[in-house]
Amino acid sequence: MKTYIAHRLGIGVLTLFGMSIVIFLLLRLAPGDIVEALFSAGGYVNPEERVAILRELGLDKPLPAQYAEWMGQVFRGDLGKSYRYDVPAWEVIRPLVPVTLELAILSMVVAVALGVPTGVVSAVRQDTGLDYALRVVSLAGLSMPSFWLGMVIILGLVAWLGWIPPVTYVSPWENFWLHLVQFMLPALAVGYRSSALIMRITRSSVLEVLREDYVRTARAKGQTDRVVIWRHALKNAILPVITVIGIEFAFLIGGLVVTETVFNLPGVARFLVQAILWRDFPIVQNLVLFTAVIVISVNLAVDMLYGVLDPRVRYGS
Amino acid sequence: MAASGATGAVVPAAAARPAGRPGVMTTLGRFCRKKPLGAAGAGVMLVMALTAVLADPLSTHDPIATSATDTLARPSTAHWLGADHLGRDIYSRIVHGARVSLIVGIASTVLGSALGGVIGLLSGYFGGKTDLITQRVMDILQGLPLLVLALVMSAALGPSIPNVVIAISVPILPRAARVIRASVLAIREFQYVEAARAIGIPHLRIAFRHVLPNTVGPFIVLCTAQLGSAILVEATLSFLGLGVPEPYPSWGRMLSVSAAEYAQKAPHLVLFPGVAISLAVFGSNLLGDALRDTLDPRLRGA
Amino acid sequence: MRTSRRVAGAAALAAVALVLLAGPALAQKSGGVINVMLREDLSQGFAIHESPTISVVWPASPCLNNLVFFDPAKPVESLDTIVGELAEKWSWQDGYRNLVFFLRKGVKWHDGQPFTSKDVKHTFDVVRAAPDAPAKLRLNPRKDWYANIEAIEAPDPHTVVFRLKRPQPSLLLMLASGYSPVYAAHVNPADYRAKCVGTGPFKLKEWKKGEYVEYVKNPDYFVPGRPYLDGLKYIMIVERGTRTAALQSGQLDVAMPGETSKAAAEQLKNAVPQLVVTPVATSVTDNIIMNAKKPPFDNPKVRLAVSYAIDRRALIAAVHQGAGVPGAAMMPRPYGVWGLAEKDLATLPGYGKPADMKARAKKLLAEVGYGPDKPLRVEMATRAIAIYVDMASFVINELKQVGIEATLKQVETAQWHPMATRGDYQIGANLTGLGVDDPDANFYENYACGSPRNYSLYCNEHVMKLFEQQSVELDPKKRLTMVVNIQKKLEEDAARPILDMRLDYFTHWPHVKGLVPHHNIYNFGRMQNVWRDR
Repeated sequence: MKTYIAHRLGIGVLTLFGMSIVIFLLLRLAPGDIVEALFSAGGYVNPEERVAILRELGLDKPLPAQYAEWMGQVFRGDLGKSYRYDVPAWEVIRPLVPVTLELAILSMVVAVALGVPTGVVSAVRQDTGLDYALRVVSLAGLSMPSFWLGMVIILGLVAWLGWIPPVTYVSPWENFWLHLVQFMLPALAVGYRSSALIMRITRSSVLEVLREDYVRTARAKGQTDRVVIWRHALKNAILPVITVIGIEFAFLIGGLVVTETVFNLPGVARFLVQAILWRDFPIVQNLVLFTAVIVISVNLAVDMLYGVLDPRVRYGS
Repeated sequence: MAASGATGAVVPAAAARPAGRPGVMTTLGRFCRKKPLGAAGAGVMLVMALTAVLADPLSTHDPIATSATDTLARPSTAHWLGADHLGRDIYSRIVHGARVSLIVGIASTVLGSALGGVIGLLSGYFGGKTDLITQRVMDILQGLPLLVLALVMSAALGPSIPNVVIAISVPILPRAARVIRASVLAIREFQYVEAARAIGIPHLRIAFRHVLPNTVGPFIVLCTAQLGSAILVEATLSFLGLGVPEPYPSWGRMLSVSAAEYAQKAPHLVLFPGVAISLAVFGSNLLGDALRDTLDPRLRGA
Repeated sequence: MRTSRRVAGAAALAAVALVLLAGPALAQKSGGVINVMLREDLSQGFAIHESPTISVVWPASPCLNNLVFFDPAKPVESLDTIVGELAEKWSWQDGYRNLVFFLRKGVKWHDGQPFTSKDVKHTFDVVRAAPDAPAKLRLNPRKDWYANIEAIEAPDPHTVVFRLKRPQPSLLLMLASGYSPVYAAHVNPADYRAKCVGTGPFKLKEWKKGEYVEYVKNPDYFVPGRPYLDGLKYIMIVERGTRTAALQSGQLDVAMPGETSKAAAEQLKNAVPQLVVTPVATSVTDNIIMNAKKPPFDNPKVRLAVSYAIDRRALIAAVHQGAGVPGAAMMPRPYGVWGLAEKDLATLPGYGKPADMKARAKKLLAEVGYGPDKPLRVEMATRAIAIYVDMASFVINELKQVGIEATLKQVETAQWHPMATRGDYQIGANLTGLGVDDPDANFYENYACGSPRNYSLYCNEHVMKLFEQQSVELDPKKRLTMVVNIQKKLEEDAARPILDMRLDYFTHWPHVKGLVPHHNIYNFGRMQNVWRDR
């Protein structure tokens, strides 16, 4: 087990390195740099000032030097300075992280809460009208652009109720219920989408398990359907679902980008878009790396969980 | 179309079509009856494709012509789906938008899946060190969230249709590679492959002539699955301002800025493009599901 | 006894007098906070002198003061509406060659330091990039506004003298713009990018990046009894639909200048009839920039043809649903004082009968060799933002009708101005915002040879002389005639054809009182006289 973890961690680190290089290069591929972005909204930059700023920000050094500098900073725990705000990048990012984390977790909870039960019901009532209806509804969630869903929610609210969730962040200590409302709506918008995938996987894995011998044995032994389902089928069906949760997490972040923008939540994902448009390299680089770390960690955790839950899987042997 | 091509590939390429095998029409009919949802999905995709191809005759107005008198017009006989804030006919823009969405969606899906497929094929077939390294590279690309990678690429390359296609195809690459590789790993062990090696047929020829055709099933499933994804990513990029540029009408861009601003006065601005996107993705997902159920015997019954 | 009664009587009289004098002022209520709309985060922090955008001026104005400012209560800005802020009195001397300011006494910076003439000298030496300036600005978009200053003297702590190279009455107006606040001499100009040390009615409490800017009342403000409000909060909402919804649902009390279109205002008013909507001119013009140094637009006939081809009134109707005002380089009347009258406009390209105008355009193109069998193909660049793209699409349509085939190239925001400055384009659809409706500010910035904001690279020595002439002209009537003639000449040269000036339907909730929008988005953000009615 230990060698397996070490092995996976090693690969994870290598992957992160690779990602860092990819992101680093991609960003510098982009035409225009922070100087042009900074002064774009109607101004001009004196060419001498331009050179001076580029030197100040270290952008005039050759690429490998810039990369080495960045990596050195990462190892020292220094995430560099935001080009745009001229303050340490971590200072800008830190307050945003809990918001996105909370939204991601809430969305995942919604997704599982919606997806698993509907998947089970759909599997048990396979090929009935209910099954088709559930599948269609769930597929609709997968098909709708999440930003559209968010827009429709906000516009619907303001049109019918004259009210929208707060546009500035309300912390849970300030006003717990308002905070919950502020996060539940976007969580629903994102979660609906993820629930579709979870529902499908749950359904197919439950179906597969229902065919298994041990289930038929249990049925033959006279145990009621419900016991069969809950005790035997679900426990085994849950495994692929957990794997999917891991994969979905990465996918979730895409949905968070637009949802945070539409609902005006001060999270990391929304900030990432702005930073990309601003060519604020330190922010984008570090945020993407951060995201990658999260994704890899979640996947590793899921694999470990898988190993714990499924007695047939034992790593390292 | 897709269905008929698929049925042909279920049989290993080396064998000839045995006598008495059901014809295309019968297979299609059977498909429609067994998988009504899939048939519906195929129908939607067909309509969309036809709309894209026949955009000009189907349109009632020039999609980029502005009109001062018709701004924010409600749906009527003059403007079937209403007009936007510049007086442009929404129906015609949606019809032309189908062309853009479909072209970008199909091009990026095919590009990404084909490239990824080849990488997966070679990686899975040769195994060993090549496989290991390729897999790590694919992991790297896949570790970056799809939208984020597309965003960065789009910002890096600049707004234009070819660039958007590339930007969306890059995240598809690793996913395609993974699926094809899994399929190849399974097929590699088949006896006829071993036999072919035994009589000394070169690797590449085996890979492309024997293994590849048998990955067509999963490949098609992959493509239809990714197509919906590609259309969504294109819409999101356009919504954020980084997608297909003017003057090509894009469903995603129709939903950004102006639509939200006038939404209460003219909800049709927000409604119709969103419904169009959803329908297109819905159709491709339905079709993809049905195809996967039909073509991938391991998932039969699921 | 008698004395004390007299004293009491006098005191009573004085009290009554005070009440009567202060009468109208008692209607205002103190207290409360208002939430103000911000469309994006501050790109340069509070460093107004380093910024060319409303996104900085609007949220930074409450914390700073100018020497002089446009009267917040008067929508039309002119020399007559200038009032003192940090300056109590001022006077021109020597035939408009020296401008003397007598500064207010007892004013303190937010950190407690006293305000003196040293601060004024410091600010404007830095801004004009004087050779002995104590600091340098990273970006200096309005250096040319102060190009005529020879020296700035501070003979005593409450007197400042601006010595000019030649007479320039416009200097006073430029100093009254929201773009000309006074920085503190004891603060490094670069620090304004992160925080704000000013003398203004509000003190910066917090700038939560990407979210909001929060202000609290400055209890030591030099105007007694002001500000009325306890605080201000500028909330950033990038998504347009969400922004409008926030205003509609009352989470925002005040819109952002220039951000509310006519249709949006109608929609808001429908949903919430008590909202106060005021149409104002924005000092932002839609215009066409054409690279005068490269073919085909180096030929004035081709430029003129473009100008003739675009029907100005149709553009206003189609692109702005009527929320625009036709005019030339200066703000049209009655919004501004220098604009052209209707009868002057009628003779300019693009204002006559559309059919005639288009025919003229075709004729001009034919004279240069273009025609139906040889169309002129060009690439039109514009910023990849909806308001630009909508305008550009309309223009392309107009050009098509006279035989100019233009394809649209969208340029990302970060690329736009560098591209334009480099002259890396043929023709472009552009928006220009003016910090103050003054001929000097406008002409020198946008039409002078060698000015970095003169994107058309238009250079006409004769016209430069005309600029100079009007700049030193002291008789306002004579000057007006000169400015009118210059505007006509610029349109006839098709230097940068002005398509229209945008109108904004500035919206706020009725409980926000004392906020009067001006016909210029940059100059009414001080918030000093604003109060809350509940």
